[in-house]
Amino acid sequence: MTALERATGGFVAVARVGDVQPGTVRVVEVDGRSLCLGLTEDGEWGAIDNICTHDGGTLGEGELDDSAVECPRHGGRFDLFTGRVLALPPVRPVTAYETEVDGDEVLVRIGSA
Amino acid sequence: MTTATTAISLDAAAIADISKQRDEPDWLRDLRAAWWERASSTPPPTGQEEEWRRTDLAALPRDGRLLADAPRLDISGVAESGVILTDLRTAVAEHPELVRRYLGQGEPQASHAHFWALAQAAWTGGLFCYVPKGAHVDGTLVARTALPASDVTYLPVSLVVAEEDSSVSLLQQVTSPDGAAGWFGGIVEIIAGEGAEVRFANLQQLGDETWNIGAQRVVVGRDAHVTTLDAEVGSRITKVGLDAEMAGKGGTSKLLGLLAAGDDQHIDINAHQVLAADYTTSDLLYLSALYDRARAAFYGVTLVEQGTRQTSSYQECRNLLLSPNAGAEPIPVLEIKANDILRCGHGATAGAIDPIQLFYAQTRGLDPDAAERMIVRGFFEQVVSQIHDETIRAEVLTALAGRIGFADEDAA
Amino acid sequence: MALPNPALTQIPDSYKYGWSDPEATHLNIARKGLSAEIVEEISRFKGEPEWMTKLRLKAYRHFEARPMPNWGADLSAIDFQDIYYYIAPTDKAVQSWDDVPDYIRRTYDKLGIPEAEKKYLAGVGGQYDSEVVYHNIREDLEKQGVIFLGTDEALKKHPDIFLEHFGTVIPANDNKLAALNTAVWSGGSFIYVPPGVHVELPLQAYFRINTENMGQFERTLIIADEGSSVHYVEGCTAPTYSTASLHSAVVEIIVKKGARVRYTTIQNWSHNVYNLVTKRAVAHEDAVMEWVDGNLGSRVTMKYPSIYLVGERAHGEVLSIAFAGDEQHQDAGGKVIHAAPHTTSLITSKSISKGSGRTSYRGLVKVYPGCEKSKSTVRCDALILDEEARSDTYPYMEIDEEDVTIGHEATVSKVGSEQLFYLMSRGLSEAEAAAMIVNGFIEPIVKELPMEYAVEMNRLIQLQMEGAVG
Repeated sequence: MTALERATGGFVAVARVGDVQPGTVRVVEVDGRSLCLGLTEDGEWGAIDNICTHDGGTLGEGELDDSAVECPRHGGRFDLFTGRVLALPPVRPVTAYETEVDGDEVLVRIGSA
Repeated sequence: MTTATTAISLDAAAIADISKQRDEPDWLRDLRAAWWERASSTPPPTGQEEEWRRTDLAALPRDGRLLADAPRLDISGVAESGVILTDLRTAVAEHPELVRRYLGQGEPQASHAHFWALAQAAWTGGLFCYVPKGAHVDGTLVARTALPASDVTYLPVSLVVAEEDSSVSLLQQVTSPDGAAGWFGGIVEIIAGEGAEVRFANLQQLGDETWNIGAQRVVVGRDAHVTTLDAEVGSRITKVGLDAEMAGKGGTSKLLGLLAAGDDQHIDINAHQVLAADYTTSDLLYLSALYDRARAAFYGVTLVEQGTRQTSSYQECRNLLLSPNAGAEPIPVLEIKANDILRCGHGATAGAIDPIQLFYAQTRGLDPDAAERMIVRGFFEQVVSQIHDETIRAEVLTALAGRIGFADEDAA
Repeated sequence: MALPNPALTQIPDSYKYGWSDPEATHLNIARKGLSAEIVEEISRFKGEPEWMTKLRLKAYRHFEARPMPNWGADLSAIDFQDIYYYIAPTDKAVQSWDDVPDYIRRTYDKLGIPEAEKKYLAGVGGQYDSEVVYHNIREDLEKQGVIFLGTDEALKKHPDIFLEHFGTVIPANDNKLAALNTAVWSGGSFIYVPPGVHVELPLQAYFRINTENMGQFERTLIIADEGSSVHYVEGCTAPTYSTASLHSAVVEIIVKKGARVRYTTIQNWSHNVYNLVTKRAVAHEDAVMEWVDGNLGSRVTMKYPSIYLVGERAHGEVLSIAFAGDEQHQDAGGKVIHAAPHTTSLITSKSISKGSGRTSYRGLVKVYPGCEKSKSTVRCDALILDEEARSDTYPYMEIDEEDVTIGHEATVSKVGSEQLFYLMSRGLSEAEAAAMIVNGFIEPIVKELPMEYAVEMNRLIQLQMEGAVG
C-alpha cells in the first residue's frame, strides 16, 4: 500500500507483525485512541476499541480465545472482528476496525475514506 | 478591598501562622492545631468508599491560594439584642467564650471527615450566629459572601447556635465569579438546644468552574425542630455531606434540597440521618432538575439505632431528567436496627416529564419551553411549599430561575 | 409433607430406596482443599471434553486472583481449603439420623413429614428412587423435543448446545464465587425447550434423580428457544440439612424472542450453610423472565437474581421473600439492566427479620442510554419483628436515559399493635396473630408459588412465629 493509499484509506500503522503473539491481544495507542489489537492462532488480525462497555475494563489486557476477546475485569467477551458482545455482562458492542497487513506493519483503518 | 492571599501548602506551620497573624487566643490556636492533626491523619477519600465512588477528586485544585483575608460578610436582619450574627473572625474577638464553647466540638460525618477537619483547621472566615435562650428572632437573618476571584481556595466555617426555646431563620448565600477553577469547602454546624426552632437555608451560587466540597452537621436537641434547605445552583462539581443527628427525644429535622443543574455540572449529595433517641423524626426530600449533560448522584443513609422507640423517617430523592444526556443515580439506603418504628421508608425516582402533562400544558396555549418550565416549577413545589420563610423562598426561586425559569406567580 | 412433586403421593408404600452404587471405588479427589490438580482431576473423573477442562482451570486461576467481596454479608469464616470440592454421593450423606440437628427433626415432625422423606431431606441413608415417576415425565418431554437432564449428562449428550451457551451469561471471571463454581461445578439442571413448545408441568430439580440433588456447586443452564415457555422449580420449604457448609451455585438462563421462563427457588438450608449464588438471565425481544426467590434458611445467603433486558419490549420480574431468624443474614434482592427501548421491570421484595436476624435488600436498576420508554418499579417492604433484629435496604440506581419512568419505594415497619390486638380479640394467641399478619405480608409473593410450596411456606412461618423451631 502506498502512503497515499494509506492516507486516503484512513489506515494507520499501529504495530509490527512480530509485536503480537498469536492467540493474544495487546493495547495500542493511535491518534488519541486506545485500541485492543489481536492476532488469532489462525493468523488473523483484528482491532476493537480498548474500553469495555460494561465497566471500563481494558480489553487489550485481557485474553483471546479463538476470536473472542475476554475483558480482564468481569469476563465479558467481544468478537475481535465485529465488536459484537459474545458474553455478558457488557450489553453494548465495541467499535471494530478494519485491519490490513502491509509488509511487516499492521494497519488499522481509523479515518473514513 | 485587597485580597491578600497566602500560598497554601497546607501544613502545621501555615495553620499556626493564621492564628499568629490574627492574634488569636491560645485555645483557638490549639483547636486549629488539633484539627490539623486530625486532617493529616485522616486521608482524603480514595474513591473506593461507597460515598465517593461517583465523584472523582483527582482534579480538585489543592494547590490553590488560600484567601487569608475573608471576603466581607454582608449581613442584614439583626434587630434583637442578645442575638449575634457576625463573621467568625469578629466573633472570636468579641465573643470568645461563646465561640469557644461551640466551635469545632462536634464529630464529623465519617465520609467527609477529612474535609471537615481541614476547614476546622484552616478557616479564615465564616459566620457565627447565636440566639440566646428564649429569644425569638423576627424576620430572616441573611448573610452573603461574594468571593472576589474564582481561582481561590476558601474553607469557611458557619456556626449556628440556637439556645433553649429560641427560634431563628437564617439564609446564607455564597457566590463567586465564573472562570478559573477554585475550591470552596464551606462547612456548617447547627446546634439546636432543647425546644429550639431553626430554619436554615444554604444558597450556593458559585462560579461555573468552582469545586464545592461542603458539609453540614445538624445536632437536634430534645423537642427541637430544625429545617434546612440546600439549594445547589452553581459550581462545576458539588460534593456535599449532610449529617443530621437526632440525639434528643422528640426532636425533628427536615432536610430539603433543590438542585437545578445543566451544562456539565456534577452534583453529588451524601446524607446521613441518625435516629438515636425515642420519638425522633427525620425526613429528607431532595429534588433535582437536570439539563444538558448534568448528572446528580445521591447516596443517603437513614440509620435507626437499636433500642430506639417510635422513630419516624422518610428519605426521598426525585430526579427530573430534561435532556437525553442528563443522568441520575439516586441511592437511598436504610439501616434499621430497631423494630419499634412509627414509620420508616424511602423513595427514589428518575425520569422525564410525563408526556401527558406536557401535552396538556401545551393545549393551554404554552409553547414547549414554557410548558416545561411550568412543569419543572410544579415539580419543585413539593419542596418550595415547605419553605415557610418568605424571604428564603423568594431568594431561592430567584436563584433557580436562571435554570428553570420563573413561574408567573413567583415573578410578582 | 408434600414434597414438591404431587406425583409422589402415588408411590406405593412398598417402594424401597436403595443405595446407588458409587461410580468409582476410590476417589483421591475426595479430600479437602482446592488446587489446579484437584480441578483437573474432577474434570478427568467426569470424562469431560478438553475444552471444559481448560475452562475449569482458567476459572480456577481467576478464582485465585480475585479478592473476596468487601460488601454484603460477613464471609470471614469461610475457609476455602477446608472444603471437599467433589464428594461421591455416599461420602456426603450424614451417617445417622442422630447427627441431624434437633430443630430440623422437630420441624419435620411438626410438618408431618413421613419417615422416609425425612431421611431423604436430611441426606441420611439412601436416595429416593424416583426413577419410576421420573421416567413417565421424561417420556412426555422427549416427545416434545424438550431436553431435561443433569448438567453433567447434558455436557456429554449435547455438547454443541452447551458450547454455544455455557458461560455466555455468567462468564468465569464475573465474580469470585462464579469463578469457583466454573472450576468445580458438578450437578445442576440443563433444560432446552424447542421453539414454540410450552412445557405445561413445572419442571423440578427433584425429577432429575438421585445423585446431585443437593449439590454444593450446581451449575444450571436453561435455554428457552423462540416462543417457548417453561417453569422450573427447585428447593423445598422444609429445612434441608447439608453437611457441606459452602453452597455456591450458578444459574444461567437464556430467554429467546417471545419466550417465557419462570424460575422458582425456595431455599431453606440448615444454619451452617453459606449460600452464595450467582443467577442471571438474559431476555430478548418480547421475552418475559421471572425469578421467584424464597430465602428462608442458611446462615448467610448472598443472592441477587438478575435480568438483562436486551431486546425491545422484554419484561423482567423479581419476586423475593427473605426470612432471617436468629444469627441469620439474608442479603438478597434483584438486579435489572435495561439495555433496549420499551423494556419493563418489576422488583418486589418482602423481608422479615426476627430474633437477632438481619435481612438486607440489595438491588440495582440500571438503564443504558437509548432505552427510551422503559419503565421500572421497585417495591421493598421489610418487617422487623424483634428488638434485636435488623433490616437494611441498598437500592442502587443508574439512570442514563431521560425518557423513562423509574421508581423505587420502600417501607420498614413492625407488626402493628392494633392489628395484633384485633386478631387476639378474635381468639388467636399472640403467636398465631403474628403469624397471620406475617403471612398476609408475604401473600403477594406466596400466591405466585406452586400450591404445595405456598401451603408449606405458610405453615413454616407459623412454626417460626411460635418459636417452636429454630
